Amino acid sequence: MDIFRLYTKSIGMLLKSHLQYTSSFIMQTLAQLVMEGGEMMVVILIVDRFESLKGWTGGNLYFFFGMMSVSFYLTELFGRGITGDFPMMVRTGRLDTFLVRPRGVLTQVLCGGTDPRRITCIAVGVAALIMGSRLSGISWNLLKVFVLVESIAMSMLLILGLFMIEAIFSIFSVKSVELVNAITYGGRSACQYPIDIYPTPLRALFTVIAPFALTLHVPASWIMDKPLYGWPTWTAFVTPLSGAVVFIFMTVMFHLALRHYRSTGS
Amino acid sequence: MSYIEVNNLKKDFVVKKKREKGRLLREKDTVNALKGISFSVDKGELVGYIGPNGAGKSTTVKILSGILTPDGGSATVGGLVPWHERKAHVKNIGVVFGQRSQLWWDVPIIDSYSLLKDIYRIPQRDYEARLKELSEALQLDELMKTPLRLLSLGQRMRAELCGSLLHRPELLFLDEPTIGLDAVSKLSLREFLKWENKEHGTTIMLTTHDMEDIAALCSRVMVIGHGQKLFDGKLNDLLERFDTVRNVSVKYDAALPELVLPEGVECSKTEDGIKLSYKPSKLPTAKLLSILQDAGNISELTLQPENTDHLIAAMYKELDL
Repeated sequence: MDIFRLYTKSIGMLLKSHLQYTSSFIMQTLAQLVMEGGEMMVVILIVDRFESLKGWTGGNLYFFFGMMSVSFYLTELFGRGITGDFPMMVRTGRLDTFLVRPRGVLTQVLCGGTDPRRITCIAVGVAALIMGSRLSGISWNLLKVFVLVESIAMSMLLILGLFMIEAIFSIFSVKSVELVNAITYGGRSACQYPIDIYPTPLRALFTVIAPFALTLHVPASWIMDKPLYGWPTWTAFVTPLSGAVVFIFMTVMFHLALRHYRSTGS
Repeated sequence: MSYIEVNNLKKDFVVKKKREKGRLLREKDTVNALKGISFSVDKGELVGYIGPNGAGKSTTVKILSGILTPDGGSATVGGLVPWHERKAHVKNIGVVFGQRSQLWWDVPIIDSYSLLKDIYRIPQRDYEARLKELSEALQLDELMKTPLRLLSLGQRMRAELCGSLLHRPELLFLDEPTIGLDAVSKLSLREFLKWENKEHGTTIMLTTHDMEDIAALCSRVMVIGHGQKLFDGKLNDLLERFDTVRNVSVKYDAALPELVLPEGVECSKTEDGIKLSYKPSKLPTAKLLSILQDAGNISELTLQPENTDHLIAAMYKELDL
């Protein structure tokens, strides 16, 4: 509870400082809307042209897209410290100041960054989810709502975990942006579509290494009453937990890496 | 056991060399930042830690404040090993880095303090009392609602000090606190540190390049160079060892009299007087003065030790740094 309070207070303060530069904030938020709206347009165009993709209807495609957008941009909204600011924190020595305070380093990193501009991207994602749900004719019940929330939460942990690879590299002052972007931003772009449209190597990548298929596609398919790639029904509840596994593993690695942190000269 | 115990502390950094032509991998080079440093500091001491750039000052401070893990040796602060029991340890310390801020850039400093209160879990009453005390001592009352980025360097340093002392640390590390400050700010900063040390018994360890800081604050000084401790003791002893030359400028009422000076005194004429350099160890100052006085009516006389920066430079040179 104490940590939650610290987090909300820190984020509140960051929002205050974002709003010190009001006009630039509004411009950037609108730019995000255009960007994410564009991504959405691509999906709409595909649906318009092909009607269905490997058996997935337009509504299904919107639903996948919405789940990915909401998960990804919620992570960037609340976890900006890891998804964007961390290399900067290392370079400017802010990591040093975290280390001399009696709180977890990861807690402080997360408390140290938010990206409120993503709010428009999340709105686009929510719109896609609603559209997808309507067109797919999903009949909602409590269990489905639970699985939706579980899937989004676990996908968020997975995304945080993947971005932590970059964080760990930057602790060793290694630039790894391109490599990591391939599975973070690349993962988002690829996995906002049904996973079975991809060839086996890509499917393996997003099942074993960056398991979006497990945190997102399996439960989403179950929610839409689609077959689970030949897996039994109960897997829809269990596979999303792989997101937490990745996150915990990366957290351990992160703390191991901190022991070898070299700090920057002063 | 002393409050801070450091024993044979070692830290190496691996530096990658520029890649040579025709080779795939870069060669690595190991730099011994600390080659086995030992010292101890008692509670309530005010210690100056000096040495040229790259000597290992910051590395020592970073290890003792839990930022870096050493490669060898041991260190305890108040019985805790900084890099093993980081959270328990950092509760008791405050750290001020001269060139980087611990407060939040865009928000009023009072908001930063309020967040620090939560980070350190300081009880509300305790926080209010301490904040009042510190803002009086550091003259921060007027600035509380100003964002950090709008403060001058001197004001910012005062704000940083307040932030690092809110949780009443037993030990305060200062990394070049007076760098870039004007004379007035420097003086008031030193006054404050003396006050904090006396009033609350806070142990203070400061690194600096400014000998005036040391002279004004620290009874004890440690010199470090090439990762080794070269001197540890009273400032006066250090000065005695290196402060070998003194200058005297004399002006006489009438024309310049003939002076018969003992050997080893250098004499040069200036516009309206003479300037002498001598070694107090060879020629006692009193004796020189009596020679000068006997020679004629002195209208003006100034006696000064060599400039402290020259002194430090001489010291580094002699210690081969």
